[in-house]
Amino acid sequence: MMFGISVNANDSLQSIVEKARIGEAYGLDYVWVSDSPVQLYAPIIAAAVAASTRRIRVGLGLMSTLLHTPQQIANSLLTLCVMYGNRFDVCIGVGDRQQLCRVGLDINNARDLPSKLVEARSIIASNLQAARIRTRIWLGAQGPRMLRIARDFDGILLNYSNIQMIRWAIRQGNLKADSKFKIGISAPSYVHSTPQPEILELAKVAAGTVALGTSSSVLRMMGLVDEVRRLRELAEGRPSLEEISSQVPTEILSNFAITANEEELCLYVRELKRVGVTHAVFGYPQTHSQHTVKELAKMLRSAS
Amino acid sequence: MGEDIRTRTDVFLHTFTLARVAPSKRAGVGVTSPLLRNITTIARAAATLNEVNSSQFRLGLGVGGLQDLATLGITVTRPVQALESAVEVLRRIWNGRILTMKTETTELEQYQARYCSGTRIPIYLDVRGPHLLRLAGEVADGIILSGPMNYLEKAIRIVKNHPARQIPASPRIVVWLPTVLTRTEKDLRLAKSAAATVIADTPKSVLEMDGASQEALWLQETMRRRGYAIASRSVTDNLLNHFAISGNAARICSVFESLGRLGADEVVFGPPYGNRPLASVREVAGMWESS
Repeated sequence: MMFGISVNANDSLQSIVEKARIGEAYGLDYVWVSDSPVQLYAPIIAAAVAASTRRIRVGLGLMSTLLHTPQQIANSLLTLCVMYGNRFDVCIGVGDRQQLCRVGLDINNARDLPSKLVEARSIIASNLQAARIRTRIWLGAQGPRMLRIARDFDGILLNYSNIQMIRWAIRQGNLKADSKFKIGISAPSYVHSTPQPEILELAKVAAGTVALGTSSSVLRMMGLVDEVRRLRELAEGRPSLEEISSQVPTEILSNFAITANEEELCLYVRELKRVGVTHAVFGYPQTHSQHTVKELAKMLRSAS
Repeated sequence: MGEDIRTRTDVFLHTFTLARVAPSKRAGVGVTSPLLRNITTIARAAATLNEVNSSQFRLGLGVGGLQDLATLGITVTRPVQALESAVEVLRRIWNGRILTMKTETTELEQYQARYCSGTRIPIYLDVRGPHLLRLAGEVADGIILSGPMNYLEKAIRIVKNHPARQIPASPRIVVWLPTVLTRTEKDLRLAKSAAATVIADTPKSVLEMDGASQEALWLQETMRRRGYAIASRSVTDNLLNHFAISGNAARICSVFESLGRLGADEVVFGPPYGNRPLASVREVAGMWESS
């Protein structure tokens, strides 16, 4: 099983690069550079990480095909591979609906998203093929419509942490990991030996943010419609959830984030393997500091 | 680092690599169009590049080639407003403001960038024509100018002392003309071909400002009626010297200096440089350094 961290959340370029180097030094397999309209530009971060590391694989994404055209995503990936070697993967998807709304992109106005994503994948793949570059194109997905197209990609990254939901998604998409197709999860995380309350609050904010961007069909599956509706009402008019982190329900944290001590992490990783997950990406606030990155990497060594 | 939408590259990544390998040099995006991407993407790409080397990075914006934009299904109806809006929105984003707005080209709803440090990133506008020059004189930190020589002189005057300038400091003037070190007949043909391309793309308003427009208008007509190859061969020495820079290294440096006397703070060498680009760059750079 492969493990990675997701970076580029409320962090400087230099700090991200340092954490990526620590991740590599402590044996992590991937650094995923998330892309969001409010954070630094992911392709440059990916380049900086690649320039400062040697072995760790660098993932770009989730890159929203509403925010970037498929050709722009292909251009970034091609430029990265040509300049820094074939060490990159890319994950494409729709993106977080709330964040996209803030920059004038309404998912509700977009027609036939699954087909558009398959088409985007095809454009990116043909660009790579023309340049004789072979790399993995992942789909970032949650709900049934996207799960149906997952097999058109080289892998899927699910953004929830709940084992039942993961199992459901694998069944729904008729997914099975093999040499060509990988199944991954990417979730806000806080794995710790001793929990620090302020970082736990950040995990709640991160989980709440993901929940607010989750489609209603998935929320219905999870039985979280009311909880997220209440959270949405509380979040109305606020640029972020930080002011109301204490009001993020526990159910949202447990479904969308990975919060665990070492023993719990061991059990969780075992469960992930059992259901067929091959990649696990630990997102913010696991990358809150160099210490939290180190702690994760050490615990994963024991868990594996 | 210029953006050519026909190539399969990311201009921001190239600029990053440039900044990494030559950290003592000013590196900038020159230019990208705010019509090609969500404005927040440009904002954060520029902010990320600024983090790499904050004293050296500049963001260049321009409307973009109309024909190139048309191939992407983008039409430009109000270029002045589009650029003006882009400059204003970018500065507000970098200031960390919470923005809600809707214009022809931009829509933001309670948007606030999380990466802002309040640093001012210089914005250079690549513009041609009287209306865009006036805008640049009002709002830009720097201006990238190209066009025939008489036009350049007038353009520099317009932007340098603009009465409605909103920024205390004078704008920095960058002149960017196609430049070819001509050693052989083949280089000369390349230079004339570059000049023909520029002339074909020069708007009427620029030719009118230049005042020496008859020959250029004739070449544009030739291009329309008889094609690029014939028009390219019809470029006279006068047109070549008016729209491009060519000759040996000494002549090129001499033209650079004359542009400095006109008011340019920087001159960009190239492209297309010559049929041996690396050798041309070394020769001109060497001559410039020693002069």
